[in-house]
Amino acid sequence: MEFKQVVGRRRSIRYYLPFRPVEREKVQVVLEAARLSSRAVNADFVQAVVVNRDDLADEDRESLKTPTTTAQLDLAPVWIFWLIDPTAPRIGQTSLKQLVDVGALTPSHGWSHAYVDNVVWPQVLQPILADPGTAMLVAAVEAGLAINQALLAAVDEGLGTQLTALNATNAKRILGIPDHLVPIWIQLLGYPAEDPEAGGQRPRSPFEQIYFEGRYGHPFERDEMVVEQLKGDGMIMPEAPYPWRKDEVRALSRMFGLPE
Amino acid sequence: MSTPMSVEAIERLASQATVAAWLRAYDAHWEVSQSDAEVRAKLEVLARFCLTCGKEPDELVGWLFRETPEGPRIRLKRRRQVMALIEGFEREHGGRSAGNVVRSFLIHNGVALSAAPLR
Repeated sequence: MEFKQVVGRRRSIRYYLPFRPVEREKVQVVLEAARLSSRAVNADFVQAVVVNRDDLADEDRESLKTPTTTAQLDLAPVWIFWLIDPTAPRIGQTSLKQLVDVGALTPSHGWSHAYVDNVVWPQVLQPILADPGTAMLVAAVEAGLAINQALLAAVDEGLGTQLTALNATNAKRILGIPDHLVPIWIQLLGYPAEDPEAGGQRPRSPFEQIYFEGRYGHPFERDEMVVEQLKGDGMIMPEAPYPWRKDEVRALSRMFGLPE
Repeated sequence: MSTPMSVEAIERLASQATVAAWLRAYDAHWEVSQSDAEVRAKLEVLARFCLTCGKEPDELVGWLFRETPEGPRIRLKRRRQVMALIEGFEREHGGRSAGNVVRSFLIHNGVALSAAPLR
């Protein structure tokens, strides 16, 4: 699939074919995409545990649910538990020097082993590590970058996917997750039972309301020719709800015996 | 087989604020206008559940929330109790469709819950 189509067709899928397994190779592609995301300090801010739904005991599966995270967990055959590591920059002194050595961080931009040892490590990374709030903030952003690539890779593989909330305490207990890692999302993978367009692209705030040029509050003016081009490329699609969406959701609810 | 409810009993149930809110919200969300027969059938199921749990609809919804300075908050332990009650109810009184009537009533009154999908 073309990149713009992948971006345009991504939806949070909440109805999956519960009986259709996901090929292991496709799960690996999703993880590979996450591994290659942009990341500060070249550190592993995010790790993951892949779980097959049917390998979990019923009691464990139930204990991972939240009030609105229910049926989709029962329907999606593969779950990826994404784990944030706020201590990831602890390897920074080594990983940054590695980036210098491989030519990613260059002397022409001021980088050297000495700069890492004498400035970045003691004055930037150690203070971040010493402040749990800042460390978590940094880790959350970096993890989000990786997780988003995983989402887009899943779409590119023809899968339905969604990030869904979880009971993190129970996840740590059930999966044996070390204390320093924070379970942040479950990414569900499966083949969609609903139309992959899931009723249309979700409503967004007007472009000029959130993007500015020159200074905050001065809208970045949207060129309608670009918009039309992106519609042609499949990145901008008709906005939800499609006229038949509620009928679709009712039919799915009745098919799976879910409440209306 | 359960005894059909009297018109008075149906009207009394329908007059409860949470029941009226449910029926109104259901129609608005799904963009439908339920027939009297459909509404009556649902109310009969809800009435049977209320007998099972020993609480009227308004009382049941009220029991599931607690007031806080920030507004009403769901009582999670009670919510789990009600979810288990619904599961038992649907096993004994009409299956999943009956259970989902009760779930729908609660959902449209702000009590988030679902059911295990049939698969």
